[in-house]
Amino acid sequence: MGIGALVLVALGPLVFNDYWVDAILTQALIVGIAAASMIFLAAYGGMISLAQTALMGIAGFALGNMVTQRTPGGETKGLTLGWDPTLALVLAIAGTTLIGILFGAVASRSLGIYFLMITLTYSVIAFYFMGQVTVVSGFSGISGINRYTPSFVGDMVNDRYRLYYIALGVAIVVYVLIRYVVKTPFGLALQGIRDEPVRMSSLGFAVPLHRTLAFGFAAFLASLSGVLLVWWQGQIAPGDIGLQSTIDLLIVAVIGGLGRVEGAWVGAIAFIVINNYIRDSWLTDFLDDVKVGGSFNTIIGLVFLAIVIVSPDGLLGLWDRLWGLVRRGGGPAAPAVSPSPAGQQG
Amino acid sequence: MSRLTRRWKLLLPLSVVAVAASAFVSTSGATSQAREVRVAIMTDCKGAFGFGYEPDIGGAQAAFAQWAGGKPKDAKKPSAGMTGIKVAGTSVKIVGYGCGDDTVPTAIKETRRLMEQLKADVMVGPLSGDEAVAVANYAKAHPTKTFIIGTAGSQDPTLQIAPKNMFRYFGDGAQWNAGIGEIAYKKLKWRNAAIIMDDYSFGWTSAAGIIADFCAIGGKITKRVFPPLNTTDYASYVQQLPAPSSVDGYFWVVGGTGTGASLTAFEQAYGALKPSQHIGNLFFAFLGADKVVAPKVVSSYVGGFGTGPGLKTKQAKAYEAIMAKHYPGLNGGNYADGFVSNYYHGAWALVQGLQKSKGQVGAALQAALPRSIKSAYQVSNGGVMKLDGNRQAIQDQYPLQIVKNADGSIGTSVVGFVPNVDQSFGGLFKKTSPAPGRAQPPCVKKSLPWQGKIKVVKNGTITGEVIK
Repeated sequence: MGIGALVLVALGPLVFNDYWVDAILTQALIVGIAAASMIFLAAYGGMISLAQTALMGIAGFALGNMVTQRTPGGETKGLTLGWDPTLALVLAIAGTTLIGILFGAVASRSLGIYFLMITLTYSVIAFYFMGQVTVVSGFSGISGINRYTPSFVGDMVNDRYRLYYIALGVAIVVYVLIRYVVKTPFGLALQGIRDEPVRMSSLGFAVPLHRTLAFGFAAFLASLSGVLLVWWQGQIAPGDIGLQSTIDLLIVAVIGGLGRVEGAWVGAIAFIVINNYIRDSWLTDFLDDVKVGGSFNTIIGLVFLAIVIVSPDGLLGLWDRLWGLVRRGGGPAAPAVSPSPAGQQG
Repeated sequence: MSRLTRRWKLLLPLSVVAVAASAFVSTSGATSQAREVRVAIMTDCKGAFGFGYEPDIGGAQAAFAQWAGGKPKDAKKPSAGMTGIKVAGTSVKIVGYGCGDDTVPTAIKETRRLMEQLKADVMVGPLSGDEAVAVANYAKAHPTKTFIIGTAGSQDPTLQIAPKNMFRYFGDGAQWNAGIGEIAYKKLKWRNAAIIMDDYSFGWTSAAGIIADFCAIGGKITKRVFPPLNTTDYASYVQQLPAPSSVDGYFWVVGGTGTGASLTAFEQAYGALKPSQHIGNLFFAFLGADKVVAPKVVSSYVGGFGTGPGLKTKQAKAYEAIMAKHYPGLNGGNYADGFVSNYYHGAWALVQGLQKSKGQVGAALQAALPRSIKSAYQVSNGGVMKLDGNRQAIQDQYPLQIVKNADGSIGTSVVGFVPNVDQSFGGLFKKTSPAPGRAQPPCVKKSLPWQGKIKVVKNGTITGEVIK
């Protein structure tokens, strides 16, 4: 399964033009990592977190503040500490993971809608903190971050294929890591907590601690996405972690399939392609003509509705069913075998 | 499921994705044809300044229609497009319009779409302050592309960041407010004032111009309040302002839908507005505020937009005739709005640059873009507006006053002429100085080049009398 995916993406620069490699595929890999962190929590921990964009942003803002420099013609916003990029990278990832553990500890005793609301609160706090505390950002954000990268990472400004392959490598590591973690005793206990928290607690498992650590692990994954995001964009602003971005990430995860980690990247590429091309499509013109308003939000909203109604387990679930139909010559499809996302556990 | 089946199960969808993607690549990417100059116009179609979409595009395209043979597809809807643009024998194609929403992430995504997917060589835009800061950083990393700022007024893009491939053919937000502080000091006798400003790049830059001008002549800013952009309830921010009895006046730098909302909050807190106690930046009189806000503050002074509405000069009339010819009624016929005028001048400069570079883009175009143009509202230097070393306009400015016209309608009248306002405010703002912010610039008394030289303008005519 992985070989086919790897071959296709590894040959990306040969198959696609520069714009596709840099703007579509690289972005999809980065967004996919953030969505994978959300799916990990949902599918294996039964926690739908709306804090993943905030955590992604915290890593990006932290890195931006630490590496940029205030020089003539340099950056004008943020702390511009000018620290060593390697040290800043480690601190940004470690700091975000710690904040994730803290966030997780606070939210770990909540379930369902309450967990969702707490994580949404984190997201809103992060947005306004970065927007209002102009010492660390302000609404203009921090720019020029990708001019300062560790030597082992190289030039992120001019060598965009390098960034693509780094994002690809990180995405693979994230995928493998999640698959590994869920098979460890910790991962199995987490799935047990997802399905039967009371029983697991009775058996002596520390439910809040497992949830907290899972949240910290997801924060670590989101921080990788945040670092890649600022290397890709070169800048980060509160808009990157606002409510719209938070909802967008949820849509990515749902479109791809909240129950399957690989759905993160499927959802990301579908979302980004629609976002990118719908503006110049006949569909937008048609919707404009009938006064519906052909904006991206209308169209992605319809796609989202269709997915939720037709295939709650996303595009991957849809594919499973279609494949099942083909294999059985039109017979009833077997239910997709996948971990249960939050709210679907029996 | 066998390994073979599972492999096919993945390869099949991947193949579908690859084929679909290839189709996108082949159909939507730029096709290689005979050499043409590819131009993008970046503005906002959503957010607080979404109403600027058609005026901005119309302003830019009017220049192509007048100076490069462009034919509007629809004179009432500029975004319908334009055909037949040709400069120095080279076709110019408008490849797309950017749809920003006043935020950095969208500005960058749209800029990428225009410059990389649609392969534009030149961009005229963006519209607003934070967007221009983001685009300036993008420009720095893409030196072969050329960027002519649309109507964004933040200072950083052409002072602190100042990429060599970025040009601005109008003043920044601070320059637009030159003279307004001196008017407050001399005409209204203000000595102590408070300022409330949008908490983002343009708000800071616009406020910086007011603060620098007012403090330079001896005024004091006793309080600075900064509500976030897109605030809807200003009650708590108005409460942070000193009471009307403890300051001589207030400078308002709150834009979009916030202008009316913030003034309403002030009325609720302190009673009816006393026009002589309130001065606004352009948001009091432009960008739709003329209908909502201006009627509340008739006779208040207002900072300009780098244009002179109603100015009776040959160049101003010629420009307005061009706009009326190609896009009659655009922006309600208010062609002196910087949304229209600044995009027009950017596109006109582009046509001149392409004529000189013989249709070449990149470094050749950047070298050829004019360092001076006969801007519509420029009077100094025989009507020639010059760019400084950072490719930033040194522009005449026109403080305004809100007036009630004879027919009862509310409008603005130019009351002052501030010659040759440069971005540095006579050296106060430098490349090495911090960009405008909540506490920048500090309030300092200093000599400005135009201090004591602001001419009185009456009925659209610049008089020899200076403002006292």
